[in-house]
Amino acid sequence: MVVHRDSSGPIHRAMSSAATTAPSVDKVDGFSRKSVRKAKQKRSQSSSQFRSQGKPIELTPLPLLKDVPASEQPELFLKKLQQCCTVFDFMDTLSDLKMKEYKRSTLNELVDYVTVSRGYLTEQAYPEVVKMVSHNIFRTLPPSDSNEFDPEEDEPTLEASWPHLQLVYEFFIRFLESQEFQPSIAKKYIDQKFVLQLLELFDSEDPRERDYLKTVLHRIYGKFLGLRAFIRKQINNIFLRFVYETEHFNGVAELLEILGSIINGFALPLKAEHKQFLVKVLIPLHTVRSLSLFHAQLAYCIVQFLEKDPTLTEPVIRGLLKFWPKTCSQKEVMFLGELEEILDVIEPTQFVKIQEPLFKQISRCVSSPHFQVAERALYYWNNEYIMSLIEENSSVILPIMFASLYRISKEHWNPAIVALVYNVLKAFMEMNSTLFDELTATYKSDRQREKKKEKEREELWKKLEDLELKRGLRSDGIIPT
Amino acid sequence: MDAFKLMKELRVNCEQEVHYLPKVTGLRAIESTAPGDSRISAKCRDAKVEDLWSLTSFFGYSTQTFVLAVNLLDRFLAMMKIQPKHLSCISLSCLHMAAKVTEKECNLTPTDELIRIGQCRFTVSDLARMEKIVTEKLNFKSKAVTALTFLHLYHQIALSHCTDRKTTLSLEKLEAQLKACLCRISFSKAKPSVLALALLRQEIEAVQSEDMLEIASHIQRHLKIVDADLVLWSKCVAQCLSDYASPECSKPDHRKLQWIVSRRTAQSLHSYRSVPELPTIPEGCWDESESEDSCEDMMSSGEESLSSSLGSDAEGSFFPPHLRRQNQRQYLYA
Repeated sequence: MVVHRDSSGPIHRAMSSAATTAPSVDKVDGFSRKSVRKAKQKRSQSSSQFRSQGKPIELTPLPLLKDVPASEQPELFLKKLQQCCTVFDFMDTLSDLKMKEYKRSTLNELVDYVTVSRGYLTEQAYPEVVKMVSHNIFRTLPPSDSNEFDPEEDEPTLEASWPHLQLVYEFFIRFLESQEFQPSIAKKYIDQKFVLQLLELFDSEDPRERDYLKTVLHRIYGKFLGLRAFIRKQINNIFLRFVYETEHFNGVAELLEILGSIINGFALPLKAEHKQFLVKVLIPLHTVRSLSLFHAQLAYCIVQFLEKDPTLTEPVIRGLLKFWPKTCSQKEVMFLGELEEILDVIEPTQFVKIQEPLFKQISRCVSSPHFQVAERALYYWNNEYIMSLIEENSSVILPIMFASLYRISKEHWNPAIVALVYNVLKAFMEMNSTLFDELTATYKSDRQREKKKEKEREELWKKLEDLELKRGLRSDGIIPT
Repeated sequence: MDAFKLMKELRVNCEQEVHYLPKVTGLRAIESTAPGDSRISAKCRDAKVEDLWSLTSFFGYSTQTFVLAVNLLDRFLAMMKIQPKHLSCISLSCLHMAAKVTEKECNLTPTDELIRIGQCRFTVSDLARMEKIVTEKLNFKSKAVTALTFLHLYHQIALSHCTDRKTTLSLEKLEAQLKACLCRISFSKAKPSVLALALLRQEIEAVQSEDMLEIASHIQRHLKIVDADLVLWSKCVAQCLSDYASPECSKPDHRKLQWIVSRRTAQSLHSYRSVPELPTIPEGCWDESESEDSCEDMMSSGEESLSSSLGSDAEGSFFPPHLRRQNQRQYLYA
């Protein structure tokens, strides 16, 4: 830690007293290093399944399914399902160890059974399956351990009952995917209430759980046509609440991934409902602070939309430009990446419609003092398809870009950026030489005019000063202060 | 400068220009070399001169620097058998030498920056050595007489003699056109005075000034320029400039340029090309029937009503079961 010889007393004293103690790793320039603080935390676990009473749980062990004749298996299956409705407390690591193990091996057995068996799925099984799954997974999620859980920096709190929970999810997925599964029967039990509770679980901090939920919801959406509109509507609500009210929801990336596969399957022409969703929900999602957690999935959804219906290009790009980050450079880099992906698939006729506002923004990015933003924007010129679009419209684009490119070639602090600017200017020079010459000439004459004005202003001030001096001297020989 | 002095200066320069011409035999040898040969071809030289132009423009050097650099380059190439791999070093040293003569020292770009921006592979000491070699071979004198010298003089003469205040010749435009011509090696064979006059004439014809045309003829007579020569080069100039101004742009060969980005940017470049794991769920036309769904859609459209007539949720007998399930399976397990 450097101690400056400072004339101001208290600061000097404070710094000198700090200098006597060994500088702590946590403090650099007086700011605590968040990453160091967090690294000291170990992976925490949490759960909301608590033991209510002191009485231990007793389950009568049942025979294995494979050891029982085929005729008895369906009934045994139901009994095992009922047994698995019992929920254990994993926060208390010592309780009911034997029974926990029993439930775990039963669940394992059920997973295998569902995968390989034929003819086991009777109508009575459906409600029991749904009941067992509901009992295990539907719960109020535990509150976050730390008050300021930062999804980007902190380790997530994992679900303590995962040894059972994972098998329940696994079982449910196999059940849904089974050849014998009949949505017409299942829809009585997998209804809107079920889906609603399922969606709430997406807020779980445990990424493994969210991954399974993603698969579950994806299968349900695929198989239950009658629930599709409801699911879409609920996801809308979640996103809107996320964007406009809470800015907190852990499962945005997973939901977007599901939406990606849905958008991919949209029929043409696109329904008005879907277009509204794009404009009212997906575009505003870009404004959230934690964008980096789900940006790849969001960008994928946007590009899918544009591939389905290119006429949506203009509203999408205008929307992005409207929400362009002004104070967060990390987000700006993400936006530039997404924009490049959109330009990769854009149709030339659409490009012409938005090229002016688009390149005005790119021109600003290129002259950004943040070198990563400038670098990412300049790299567009390495994209062959974008280059071909620029070439076709160089007479419009070149004048927009010229001034900032020329200026930063002289003024930017980062030499790597200057080298990239050379590449871009060279490309422009070869693209449209006469226009380039004209712009260079105008730029130079503009600069000269400015310099002249500056000089005139300075001379005017000097004249005024001289005048003031002369006046002061003449009157009484004393120069007025 | 008054008219008489200008004319005198013209004549002096005309006498001097022959000392600064590249050897015609050498230029012809370059022109006849096929590209890809072990020696320099015309295409090779032209591309390098275009690079020099880009660098001149980028560093804010004057046209004089560029023209002088090209002059030095052509003289050197016409004199020596050069391997293509040395061409960038030679051209850059010519540029640096020209800049040292023409530009103010404060505007001079240091050689390491020249090499970095020019994306060259040799070192600063290589460049210094090459400069020495070129200087020796060319008996380099600081004031070379080039087409630009003549162009400036012609321009001054034309302006001073011209009575018509309205028509003006843009010197900048003429300079840009000269630069365009110099990018083709054939123009290096022309005498600078003739080339400059050809450029002047075609610009005068473009602005359609009778007065200036007379002045141009006067200059031609004064310098004893043969008509045939002038006509020949005027044709070449016209062809070159029409190519230059054509709306068809030559596709920039940006593949030659290196795009070096920082590690962080390079990492983020490829993060978006991720293939989604979830298989596509196709939207069917029977999807949006809401008979079970009591709540209305957030943004319902009129199109919805069509599908509801197809039956409750298309799970009934309307659609044969095997077809229905098969379709779903196809996509889900793709």
